[in-house]
Amino acid sequence: MDIKRIKEGHKLLAEYKYELGTIERGYTNRTLYVNISDNTIASKAVTPMMKEKFVGGKGFGLWYLWNATTPSTKWDDPENEIVIAGGPACGITQYAGAGKSLVCSLSPLTDIPIDSNVGGFFGPLLKFSGWDALEIQGKAEKDVIVVIDGNKGLVTIEEAPYEAVDGHILGEQLTEMYADNEDDKRNVSVVTAGSGAEHTRMGLLNFSFYDPRRKVTRLKQAGRGGIGTVFRNKKIKALVVKFSNVKGDLNNAYDQAVINKTGIKYHREIHDLDHLQNNMRKIGTANIIEVMDEYDLLPVMNFQYGSHPDTEKIKSTVFIEKYITQGVQDGCWYGCSMSCAKAADCFKLKTGPYKGQRVTVDGPEYENAAGLGSNCGIFDPEAILELNFYCDTYGIDTISFGTATAFAMECYERGIINKEITGGLELKFGNFETAVELLHQMSRGEGFGTVVGQGVHRMKKLFVEKYGADPDFLFDIGMEQKGLEYSEYVSKESLAQQGGYGFTNKGPQHDEAWLIFMDMVNNQLPTFEDKAEALHYFPMFRTWFGLYGFCKLPWNDIVPADNKYTDEPAKVPEHVQNYLDVVYGVTGKRLSTEDMIRESERVYNFQKIFNIRMGKGLRKNDKAPYRSMGPVTKEEYESRQERYDNQLKEIGYNPEGKTTEEKIKVLREYREDQYEKLMDAVYKRRGWNSNGVPTIEYLKELGMDLPELIEVVKDLQ
Amino acid sequence: MKYLAKDDSKCIQCGTCESICSKTYYKEDNYEKSCIVVKKDGKPEINVCNQCGECIDICPVIAIKRDKQGIVRINKKICVGCFMCVGFCPQLSMRQHDDYIEPFKCIACGLCAKECPTGAIYIAERSDDEAKEMNLDQVFNR
Amino acid sequence: MVQIIKLNNRDFPWEEGLTIEKIMEIKRFTFPKIIVKVNGKLIEKEDYATTVVNKGDNVEIIHLLAGG
Repeated sequence: MDIKRIKEGHKLLAEYKYELGTIERGYTNRTLYVNISDNTIASKAVTPMMKEKFVGGKGFGLWYLWNATTPSTKWDDPENEIVIAGGPACGITQYAGAGKSLVCSLSPLTDIPIDSNVGGFFGPLLKFSGWDALEIQGKAEKDVIVVIDGNKGLVTIEEAPYEAVDGHILGEQLTEMYADNEDDKRNVSVVTAGSGAEHTRMGLLNFSFYDPRRKVTRLKQAGRGGIGTVFRNKKIKALVVKFSNVKGDLNNAYDQAVINKTGIKYHREIHDLDHLQNNMRKIGTANIIEVMDEYDLLPVMNFQYGSHPDTEKIKSTVFIEKYITQGVQDGCWYGCSMSCAKAADCFKLKTGPYKGQRVTVDGPEYENAAGLGSNCGIFDPEAILELNFYCDTYGIDTISFGTATAFAMECYERGIINKEITGGLELKFGNFETAVELLHQMSRGEGFGTVVGQGVHRMKKLFVEKYGADPDFLFDIGMEQKGLEYSEYVSKESLAQQGGYGFTNKGPQHDEAWLIFMDMVNNQLPTFEDKAEALHYFPMFRTWFGLYGFCKLPWNDIVPADNKYTDEPAKVPEHVQNYLDVVYGVTGKRLSTEDMIRESERVYNFQKIFNIRMGKGLRKNDKAPYRSMGPVTKEEYESRQERYDNQLKEIGYNPEGKTTEEKIKVLREYREDQYEKLMDAVYKRRGWNSNGVPTIEYLKELGMDLPELIEVVKDLQ
Repeated sequence: MKYLAKDDSKCIQCGTCESICSKTYYKEDNYEKSCIVVKKDGKPEINVCNQCGECIDICPVIAIKRDKQGIVRINKKICVGCFMCVGFCPQLSMRQHDDYIEPFKCIACGLCAKECPTGAIYIAERSDDEAKEMNLDQVFNR
Repeated sequence: MVQIIKLNNRDFPWEEGLTIEKIMEIKRFTFPKIIVKVNGKLIEKEDYATTVVNKGDNVEIIHLLAGG
């Protein structure tokens, strides 16, 4: 169907004209509120209180979400929101990774707030169109799109019956529809989910940017927590923003010269050092596939093992040499010299509705290669690319899909589920055909795919209640916590990282802390207090990126040549200073490193209290599956027997002549005890009581003793 | 391709070229706004674009292109001011000044060469084969 | 009695002719962003092969990655 016909199918439901407004020091000072139940569109003021306490980005998203919902709100209630906000630095073009959007919603996987960060042009173009944030509430009757025209100052809600649902087609259709011509396509950005998001809880959002060299609409993903599921449940097909005059100074910065200087210095650093360090410009985050394997950290077969001889077949150089187009600028926003948004072009699909077509695959990122590949026992680069493609276009989170599929595969191999239950699918590790069929089923809304699409948490419950599985064993091997699937690192040998995953606000992802090398390899965090300090600093430091609209990768996926001479190389002090300089340049705020942490602490603890308000967020919710802490099964123990035997000797237990079962038990008691002790130390360092509740005293210190927050925590002191 | 060639050994660091350049393009006698830069202290060293074209592939919006004469030019109307071309120029000849949100570079106009008292800079030709930019049609099999 | 050095503050067996390069080989330290110090003194990458480690030395091989 041609674009004209598709567009003719639109029915205008609401129209809202607005003044384009101005941006002052990174803020438009307005939020666009759209309710698709009653089709109201309104402008809301961004208050000084919001800027002071929440800064922007994820801070704004959580604040709006808090005000829109109640403790009993469910993810599929109309009052649940999807909030998209960039933050004050979002949209600058001189420093790498400054185009991020933060998306917040109540998650269908966790039933608590989720935040997911994503590249693409939507956040910056939204701001240039006059809005710091977009707050969407309600539920439409029929599929709608929301269009924000930042050239004309016009917002519309339109019924859109004929457009495709799958991301890679819908992105192209709407880009084509709303761009004046080929050159104008980069001025349009589209947010979509996909058909799989409709039938699972792990739906994601694709944020587009047009690639003028490939002449393709590229997609970046707000992957975690099922926000795409909320999107489709609201019957939103897409969001479109258009703004045609992007320049490098639209944020009306306080001191543009500082930003220019810092940005150019950083570009030069990438130019000089990237090829000697991480090769981000060649292969992006997938550079660490073989590194993780070498250090026994690459999840293999549902996190049972940390390495595999076949990793050779999916190492980064295979993708560089055979699949990923080299030498093309791949930033997901202007000015990103790290350029890690890699893509495989002219990739011929072997399965599914688009079989035989040649497509551009956005990826693989490390998480995709590990989650879709090694963790499912699949060591075939073309299989990984195909799964990667279908996850994106169907709107399925690669991490949740990978970890959930790996779990289902292990259950199948152990006989906990069988072919009768899977509808005939041979769900064995390494079986690409089955894995991709699960995805196609998620798209069609049928078969065992929709069961896997509910996530590990609900699969565990189902397998126990319906098929008589042992709940304790499933708890041990099901790699989820708070309802969210673990991201793709083996944390067994790093206690700090067990906490890095286990003590997070939104569930186990490495967005807050990745401490495995510091802890396990470098041994820089020998005491509980050291670990607790790291588990305070890094989560707070990394939260900060999401307040301002920055990407985290440029912080430490390259380091300055003289970083090794600094006091704390792991923190990359020069880059931290770069961020403080850029924020000064944009906002005029001169922050110290302490101020930076404090800004994050406010939002982090707000999110923590939000969790408590929703019935989670306490100590019991930080309990973690034993697979994340140590060897659950005989096979796991015996595969690394020497390591574990030596550890037992170190804690004063003689493994000689003992059965593996006995040794597993002793090791487990020890490790679980360590985890509890770490929890005590971390909670204390974070200003929480032993139940994981922020103390009122600490909230006062942060300036976060807002009455509505005190109300939630006062009886839990 | 046409380019501004140089012979450092003939340069007397008089600054005439910088002055002509900045006056021509920015109506101001200010070496910080000149496309050609001469090192002020020590041995003379002239820094100016040799039209190699590496910046062409760096630009996120394809604002930098080679024209029919082989000169690498910036379309400032569509430039988004990211300055990646400045950071990635192999010889640091892409220039930037905070009064402007776009970078600037030598376009081998030759005005400075005409005024150079010693012939240290002059318009020359070299083989088009030395162009560094990629052929996108080849890269994407079009 | 096995002779030892300290590697990242843990015991590591020493042998005649042990170099930084050798340690990195044994430990399969293949990560590209690594800082090496012997008794607090920074060792440059080009010197890994020739830097001999003596009994009792304190070797730090710090991997720089605090994020994924």
